[in-house]
Amino acid sequence: MKLLLKGGRVINPATAYDEIADVLIEDGIIKEIGSHIAVDNAEIYEAEGLIVTPGLVDIHVHLREPGLEAKEDIVSGTQAAAAGGFTTVACMPNTRPIIDNSILVAGLKHRAQTEGIVNVEIIGAMSKSQEGKELAEIGDMLLNGAVAISDDGHFVNNARLFRAGLEYANIFGKRIISHAEDENLSSEGVMHEGAVSTRLGLVGNPSVSEDIAVSRDVMLAEYTNSLLHVAHVSSKNAVDIIRQAKKRGVNVTTEATVHHLTLTDDAVIGYNTATKVNPPLRSQDHVDALLAGLLDGTIDAIVTDHAPHAYEEKDVEYRYAPSGFTGLETALGVILTELVHTGKIGLMQVIEKMTYGPAKVLGLNAGCLKVGGKADITIVNPGQEWTVDSRTFYTRGKHTPYEGKKLKGRAVATIVGGKFVMKNGEVFA
Amino acid sequence: MAKSNISLKNRDILDLDTLSTEEINLILKTAGEMKNIMNRDIKKVPTLRGKSIINLFFEPSTRTRTSFELAGKYLGADVVNITTSGSSVVKGESLRDTLLTVESMRVDAIVMRHEASGAAEFAAKVVKPVIINAGDGAHAHPTQGLLDMFTIQERKGRLTGLKVAIIGDILYSRVARTNICGLTKMGAEVHVAGPAPLIPRELAAMGVTVHQRVEDALEGADVVDVLRIQLERQKKGLFPSAREYARIFGINKARLALAKPDALLMHPGPMNRGLEISPEVAYGDQSVICDEVQNGVAVRMALLFLVLMGGKNIEVIA
Ligand SMILES: [Zn+2]
Repeated sequence: MKLLLKGGRVINPATAYDEIADVLIEDGIIKEIGSHIAVDNAEIYEAEGLIVTPGLVDIHVHLREPGLEAKEDIVSGTQAAAAGGFTTVACMPNTRPIIDNSILVAGLKHRAQTEGIVNVEIIGAMSKSQEGKELAEIGDMLLNGAVAISDDGHFVNNARLFRAGLEYANIFGKRIISHAEDENLSSEGVMHEGAVSTRLGLVGNPSVSEDIAVSRDVMLAEYTNSLLHVAHVSSKNAVDIIRQAKKRGVNVTTEATVHHLTLTDDAVIGYNTATKVNPPLRSQDHVDALLAGLLDGTIDAIVTDHAPHAYEEKDVEYRYAPSGFTGLETALGVILTELVHTGKIGLMQVIEKMTYGPAKVLGLNAGCLKVGGKADITIVNPGQEWTVDSRTFYTRGKHTPYEGKKLKGRAVATIVGGKFVMKNGEVFA
Repeated sequence: MAKSNISLKNRDILDLDTLSTEEINLILKTAGEMKNIMNRDIKKVPTLRGKSIINLFFEPSTRTRTSFELAGKYLGADVVNITTSGSSVVKGESLRDTLLTVESMRVDAIVMRHEASGAAEFAAKVVKPVIINAGDGAHAHPTQGLLDMFTIQERKGRLTGLKVAIIGDILYSRVARTNICGLTKMGAEVHVAGPAPLIPRELAAMGVTVHQRVEDALEGADVVDVLRIQLERQKKGLFPSAREYARIFGINKARLALAKPDALLMHPGPMNRGLEISPEVAYGDQSVICDEVQNGVAVRMALLFLVLMGGKNIEVIA
């Protein structure tokens, strides 16, 4: 089985490679990258005018299986990933039950391998049932395939427990992913605290809630010399705290979501529950700081925090709606439209933040094109114009703050292990 | 009344942000005419005969609900009250379904009170009948704002250039937000003061001057609007005690004396006498609290008339 991707612009951030080239794939492995590869009996994919990149990697998604299948499951979630150009996703453990032991990690991994159409990596919980009281069997989970540990969805209030988690995961060379928010400060908040929340009469979640929590976590990582990843950074001061920590040599990484990079709290005007998310959409100064952090390397990865909910759960008053919305199928289009076509960030850097960058954070064997390596590849048409229409989504979550938005650029093919799982928006189950 | 080319027919009245100064003036002017009708021996006119209005209250409120009910009845409309305590989430029926049920009954207007900010806007998107917001969470209470403006204008002859002090819990107050929005739009100068934890972030962006001390806000004010303080805020740790609130933020004779001698004293009700307002001033010469209640009916008559009839047939009743 041979496949030749012909004449595309091949961008591989791991080696800073950006050339017009052919890519030859044989039996799921990249065989050769070079100009004018001559080969017999290969399937030819004309990639002229298109961009050939490593398969996109998203290290923060919620696939909702097991237990919350009304929102999403592995089939619908990985189809959405394929549709959006992602070949690897790492899913958070806040399911029902919580993924907090090795049997669940292994079982979920097995189900993902049999039912999923992209690579699924498993993140295990830090505390039993994510209750923040006792450590989960972190070592056993990491030895059975978990790639990181997180109580995402909750901040681990108990600093002693969080310290222990950091120290424990560090034995296995893996990161603790922190959902950083002081829950006393943010408890009733449903949007960013600022001029817009004041006008709308919605309870604000102040950015300082995130700053305090990020500070604590960074200090504990520094003190214990362990590995920390700060999830969905959204506040300007938190970006700066991480920037300074990196300068001191603290082994901390971080990610920003597509929505925090491209939307402000103005989106909440009108009380559309598709804008409700935690951390909340913040004001322009915070959005600007995230972009600066992305450009100077403080932020290692762009993620979606894809968090689908059933339609009826979001079809309620703003304060009663659950936080989170769908993101896998809009991410690349939004980033190309809002950050690349506007000249705010270069293509090479953006692709790095969506492939090699996140893969490095979790130590995944993904996110780069290399001869002899697995052929996980995304083909992008940067100029294709389209309009976001949630009715066409593969995900079960139909709420998105980008509904109706005109975008320029999208993935036109997704290849996992040498096989097309998506072509021109159509996913092959 | 002079023919005007502005019409509020079929307009949802969700807040004062979305009403122009011309539209607000039209409502206030119409309210004046309605007040004349109210003061007749026989108050009832047939203007809204055949129209049906539902007061859909998800939060208990005797005052506002009764005011709307009388306003509708004075104009000849059929008015039905639905009061359901507790959120629709607790009740098990979604807000959308409750609204669709009410809409199926072919009502012309829904007057809605709900504890969630944005609930009125949600309703306006879901159903066709005109939505009049009778209070949504901490967001807006447009008829309260309009009746306060009407009361001030009636006594002072104008709104422009007046100094209005709003005192108390701004953070959780839809009355405060609505009055800030309406009064600044109409050219008044708004000053606020209250316990700092109850002053929302970046409030100055709404065009008001924020003071740390009540005394500074009161200085030379033409109008003092005192907000109701909910004791549950104290349990949340936002102020120390009722006693201390009364002592530091309560409006009493000495504090009111800092305002102009002819300053009006307002309160949206219901009052916690002896807490945010002392009885001596609440029932004193400067108090217009009872006027507010009466004007509330007139303003609501005006609004129902304008949104349901579009200002047509005003000659019949004037
Ligand atoms: Zn999170």
